[in-house]
Amino acid sequence: MTLSIKRNIITLLAFVFLASLLMVQYIEVARKQEEAGITKHHITVPDGSKACVDCHKNVSPGIIDHWIGSEHANTGVGCVECHQANTGEADAFEHYGATIAAVVTPLDCSRCHADVYDEFEASHHAKAGNILASLDNLLAETIEGSRIPFNPHAPTPGRPDFDASMVDGMSTAFVGCKQCHGAKVGLKHKDGGIITLDELKPDAEGMPTNTTILASIMKDKDGRPLLDSTTWPNTGIGRINLDGSLGSCSACHSRHDFSPRRARQPENCGKCHLGPDHPQAEIYEESKHGVAYRDLKDEMNLDAESWILGKDYSQAPTCATCHMSANIRGGKITHDPGQRISWTNRPPVSLAMDTDKDHKVVTEKDPAARQGQIVDTWEQKRNRMKQVCSTCHTGPYVSNFYEQYDMFVRTYNEKYGKPGLAIMAALKDNKLLSKSDFDEDVEWTWYLIWHHEGRRARHGASMMAPDYTHWHGTFEVAQRWYREFIPEVRTLIEEARHEGKVAEADACSAVVEEIMNRPEHKWQENPDGFGVKAPDYPLKPVANH
Amino acid sequence: MNAVETWIKNRIPISGEQIREFTNEPVPNHIKRWWFALGGTPAMLFGGQIFTGILLAIYYQPTQAAAYESVRRISEDINFGWYLRGMHKWGATLMIATVILHQMRVFFTGAYRAPRELNWVIGMCLLICTLITGFTGYSLVYEQLSYWGATVGANIADNVPFIGGFMKQMLLAGTVYNENTLSRFYILHAAVLPVVIILLIAVHIVFIRLHGVSEMRFEDEAKDTPRSFNFFPDHLYTELIIGLSLLIILTTLAVAVPAHLGPPADPLTTPEIIKPEWFFYVAFRWLKLFSGTAAVISMGVVVVTMFAWPWIDGAIRKRNPNSELSVYVGIAAVLAIVGLTVWEAVVAH
Repeated sequence: MTLSIKRNIITLLAFVFLASLLMVQYIEVARKQEEAGITKHHITVPDGSKACVDCHKNVSPGIIDHWIGSEHANTGVGCVECHQANTGEADAFEHYGATIAAVVTPLDCSRCHADVYDEFEASHHAKAGNILASLDNLLAETIEGSRIPFNPHAPTPGRPDFDASMVDGMSTAFVGCKQCHGAKVGLKHKDGGIITLDELKPDAEGMPTNTTILASIMKDKDGRPLLDSTTWPNTGIGRINLDGSLGSCSACHSRHDFSPRRARQPENCGKCHLGPDHPQAEIYEESKHGVAYRDLKDEMNLDAESWILGKDYSQAPTCATCHMSANIRGGKITHDPGQRISWTNRPPVSLAMDTDKDHKVVTEKDPAARQGQIVDTWEQKRNRMKQVCSTCHTGPYVSNFYEQYDMFVRTYNEKYGKPGLAIMAALKDNKLLSKSDFDEDVEWTWYLIWHHEGRRARHGASMMAPDYTHWHGTFEVAQRWYREFIPEVRTLIEEARHEGKVAEADACSAVVEEIMNRPEHKWQENPDGFGVKAPDYPLKPVANH
Repeated sequence: MNAVETWIKNRIPISGEQIREFTNEPVPNHIKRWWFALGGTPAMLFGGQIFTGILLAIYYQPTQAAAYESVRRISEDINFGWYLRGMHKWGATLMIATVILHQMRVFFTGAYRAPRELNWVIGMCLLICTLITGFTGYSLVYEQLSYWGATVGANIADNVPFIGGFMKQMLLAGTVYNENTLSRFYILHAAVLPVVIILLIAVHIVFIRLHGVSEMRFEDEAKDTPRSFNFFPDHLYTELIIGLSLLIILTTLAVAVPAHLGPPADPLTTPEIIKPEWFFYVAFRWLKLFSGTAAVISMGVVVVTMFAWPWIDGAIRKRNPNSELSVYVGIAAVLAIVGLTVWEAVVAH
């Protein structure tokens, strides 16, 4: 090879190398632009979803934008992979050559996430839609709204359609309760009714066994089954789906980006876990954990693939950290948050979270019978939570915290919870209360004590928020107990006595006065409350136990 | 001669003529064939490794707590970090490959024979230093596989008779992987081994200059072909072509097959499949074929034989000057290396 040929080759190669450096520069700039949000993340649309993306980027561009930023898009999971349906499913329809359904259920997600599905279906979250006949349900459907459709009583200018149709008072539940708890998803019946899984009777695969009802489903001109607006849209966590599965994965993993990052942040849970009756979001915000999270959120590696406490981060715990995520102490990720909760503070009296084979709280009182029903004890659940705590705290610190928490729950249970239930039971048994709930002042008062203030106090103690434990908690419980509940009960008893129900009044009075004569309620007899000596520790055992 | 030239001349008393003479030594004609330029190729790649290595060292942190995160930062956050890491990773791969190819060329052309035996020994030392540099470099990533690879490597060293325990202790700075292990790997990878390699290359080149490149004649050559050509510019152009081609290849590889970053090291979880870097597949498969100490001793015998081959070959050729044994040994060795590497690559365990 002559020198001149070599020189030419060198020149050519030098240009090629410069061009390769320009390519590197181009890649770097594109990467930085994408990171800065100036350009979109480039993904390869799976073949089966190309037509969907091409059309929906004009019809509903937000959906496509969200999906492009998702891990699903990165890993080749497109529209059809999730929305695909079998011919014969109640909500399935043909859409440009594909059989799909609008509602993606946990059963659909289980095609890829089988373990997560099993964990979730066992959780209390999945059963959140079963609120029928609860006091909350009564309040929303009957008292706040109306189970009985009623006539509009004055015109609504501009909305003649409103003047011609009855008011659906159930809307308070549809738009309130069920958006967190989950609706029973329904399709419109041709006769105006609703078809749910109760009519479809789906098998284990989610296919309806009552196929005759399918002909009654109302469809639009394109053959798409119409979902009833009283039940859909709905992303409640305990949604009762047409295929028989319970829940909605998008309750936490918002569609269509299904971001784990978002699910790991407490604000995500705050959609439902807030407010006067269970202010977990506000409690967390007040706690040292929440304060640390706000300060150190950017360092918490929220995008990490595994997000293991003690390995990927340890700056602060979020709701997901304590209740669901993995940790270096051996805690595995779970989609059943109840696996680490040792008290249920939901009912009027907190219960130890011994659960049975169906993951329900065991309420049996007989020790032997109770033992026979328990599959997972409260201690096992507490030890799982202690694994989380012990990533950042020492064993004695964690144990002492739990002693404080137990002490507080006991105080509430014994001073207000159990006595309140006994008084309300006495009033009911002696017919000093009507059969209806919430038609007497005392019923509202008792409900506020346990359902709002009592829960606030207990939840505050469980998650280290002193203000919610005390001022928003036991202070308000005590104020309502002494200034409203007990006076209202005594008035009710006196009114009954005046009406001639002497025996009933005496029976109720005996219950109330026995309770109010207990030492913990006799503080009024000490003009100076601090004159009473603080207890000597250790406390004496219970007499005659 | 102006004042500046005079000033320089007085302080650096080397004439242009002397420099030309020094750099323009006649190069044997056979080196015009491309595969005879393989000796310069790893040297050029080594230069590139030093350049990209220095830039990576600016951001790398050799502690257990920060190592993985600093590599992730280089790969994802730092401007052009991914490119530098890709160049460094692929540069290492090509450097090891070309060192092996160079050695194979030297072996099959018999260039190790007297009086060049010592340069063969230096070449062997360079090969070993290059492999250890690759091993320590991969360990610095502190991902799950590199962590366990290093742990397995230390356990292999432990099997060496008599001094195994000491070797493992020196490698890990303790009996198990600990907080000081990474800094030890880092100092070896980024300071000790590069300096040793530079010194060995210097001695390697000095020997080449002292002995001259062994000349070869090919059957298809015209009888009147000049026996040599000038280093400058002819051979320098050849090296430039190779260098630019390497830069293009490395850039293409860094872009098309970027340096991967696996899950972070987890000392509590042993991966189901542990694999070292490809250049240790041979040794890894060999170790799986025999029990620990037997495998280490047999490997030691192979390495000692490789070091001593010029003298072994010399003794054989003294008895039989036309012996082709070295060629057959070479072919067997290449087949064994390729076979064991492919075997290890295709099976999980």
